[in-house]
Amino acid sequence: MEVRELATVPAMGPLFAKALLPGFGHGPARIPSHTVRLSQVSQDLERLADYDRVCGFTVRDTVPPTWLHVLTFPLHVLLLSDPESTIRLAGVVHVSNQMQLHRPVRATEVLDISVRVTNLRPHQRGALLDLIGEVRVGDELVWDGVSTYLAPGAKVDGEPVVVERAANQSSTPIAQWRLPADLGRQYRRVSGDPNPIHTHLLAARAFGFARPLIHGMWTHARLLAAIEAKLPDRYRVEVSFTKPILLPAKVGAWWRSTGDHWDAAVTTIDGTKPHLIANIQVG
Amino acid sequence: MKLPRSAVIVGGNRTPFVKAGGAYAQASNLDLLTAALDGLAARFGLAGRRLDEVAGGAVLKHSADFNLTREAVLGSALDPTTPAVDLQQACGTGLETVLYVANKIALGQADSGIGAGVDSASDAPITVTDGLRRALLAANRAKTLPQRLQALARIRPHHLLPIAPQVVEPRTGLSMGEHQAATTASWGITRAAQDELALASHQNLAAAWDAGFFDDLVTAYHGVTRDGLLRADTSAEKLAALKPVFGGTEGTMTAGNSTALTDGAAAVLLAEQSWAKANGLPALARIVDAQVAAIDHTSGDDLLLAPAHAVARLLERQGMQLGDFTFYELHEAFASTVLATLAAWESAQFCGDRLGLSKPLGSIERAKLNVHGSSLAAGHPFAATGGRIVASLAKALHTEGSGARGLVSICAAGGQGVVAILEAV
Repeated sequence: MEVRELATVPAMGPLFAKALLPGFGHGPARIPSHTVRLSQVSQDLERLADYDRVCGFTVRDTVPPTWLHVLTFPLHVLLLSDPESTIRLAGVVHVSNQMQLHRPVRATEVLDISVRVTNLRPHQRGALLDLIGEVRVGDELVWDGVSTYLAPGAKVDGEPVVVERAANQSSTPIAQWRLPADLGRQYRRVSGDPNPIHTHLLAARAFGFARPLIHGMWTHARLLAAIEAKLPDRYRVEVSFTKPILLPAKVGAWWRSTGDHWDAAVTTIDGTKPHLIANIQVG
Repeated sequence: MKLPRSAVIVGGNRTPFVKAGGAYAQASNLDLLTAALDGLAARFGLAGRRLDEVAGGAVLKHSADFNLTREAVLGSALDPTTPAVDLQQACGTGLETVLYVANKIALGQADSGIGAGVDSASDAPITVTDGLRRALLAANRAKTLPQRLQALARIRPHHLLPIAPQVVEPRTGLSMGEHQAATTASWGITRAAQDELALASHQNLAAAWDAGFFDDLVTAYHGVTRDGLLRADTSAEKLAALKPVFGGTEGTMTAGNSTALTDGAAAVLLAEQSWAKANGLPALARIVDAQVAAIDHTSGDDLLLAPAHAVARLLERQGMQLGDFTFYELHEAFASTVLATLAAWESAQFCGDRLGLSKPLGSIERAKLNVHGSSLAAGHPFAATGGRIVASLAKALHTEGSGARGLVSICAAGGQGVVAILEAV
């Protein structure tokens, strides 16, 4: 498989503008087959501290796994603005995410980051595709993640796969969080994701939302931050984004561990409807 | 466990407690703490005397008050060479300062000292937003003018809004009242039971004032001679008419059965027993033992029930039963906090699953509970509550006669609790 080595982190602004352009033609959907890779990436400690604060993490020598996802994200944008991709980032919906932390990653470690896109498959509303990210220190795989996006209207041959919805558990919230109106801007600053749907009213309305919505990966990060002291060195976390959170907002959250397994969710303030459902497997 | 030496409570002094924004609205933590120390000094002839240490604290504290207690000592009648230390454990602060001094006395590191606490919700520190703070700190660190201007350019209009302190648990985002509302509901504590406890608190405190119980425990301050929150004429009907403030429209917690934001200060004089005698000072009660405990409210535990755990460990270590006390002082953060704590000790399930006991700790005689009133009637200036309770209990036990024992239990933010046993000398 072809690996294209990048010299620098792609600038997301121009790429994003490109990714906002509509995809090509009416034919079957296509995705790039190559992997993009950034080598010898030093982490920006100041931005990491800012990210930790915005998401509720303690600033530590080791980094949250969601931070490593943030480092892979420019490569997601790059692949979905590639000429070989008929699917554009504009309009795709991040439906679920999983990531595995293989060992604690220090903030001072120099990282090799690669992303590829795969597993294009039919869905009732279009197509699903996975962006696979990997973070290595030298030859050692320290983190990997799978971001599953839905591209509405994309055509892929075959029977639509039935996506199993995460079990709709409910519980009384243990915590409640107030999300200020400018949280979208705060998260843009630390994540670099310029998607205006998180920061601008008109952009949000253009996509059918009454107000800007907080980035799902912030919600994911905030939930991990709430239990950061209870999580072990190695774990796998899987989340489903079930309902967007419009800003400003007051939401509930709960978590519960049963041995090696955690169930958790970010919910409406009364705990009845989940915004995000999470499962964590320890080890 | 036998302590090397005996730390006794000589006596106490506090200001009357008043509602925040009331008579003490212009008084700072430093003013109030100094007043409590001066009253204590006057009562026991400590003017110009050097004590071994004064431990004090406040929960709502200005960063400028980094040496609050030492500054209060310097402004008081005590010898200015009396050293001081600031401690803080939310509402456990006042009792912790007493224990800190008592432990030093027991170990021979001190012969005399004061444990004190103060809080002024009227004088609470207003802070600036994180955005403004970070920009100012960055500008401060900048080495050149352009760097400094760049840092200051990050300030946005909304950064300039002031932020008042909140009684919110940082890791759950829930206020203490909201946490307690969940506890109240899960333990099935009724509105009637809460109002009954609140009424008893007011009646007991009013009776104690009328009987002159506080004559040698409180010094008038700023024109106030009695606790301002006390409603001697309240009734079950009046309490029942109040609207819920926590737990939604179906909630059972009202302004009548929850403590109000309060201003006040309290101080307790402690000494080694023979030192007290040699210096012509009384000895009311000795500190027998103490225990601190915490629960994990970030996993859903009841925020204010840590004292239930602390008491179990303390009784176990002392080989005592819950029924072995003449008086019980359970801090009334909310009426339902006291009632849920009592219910927990009576619950076979809680005592078995959570405390690891083969049988429940049992019940206490309600006639022995908070006999001179507690925080619902007196008010609750966070760090001053421990000193109020310790001094009142020591006096009550001393009146009962040598050997009478009392249990103090105080819940604190962060899922903590501190408890202690006193015994009349």
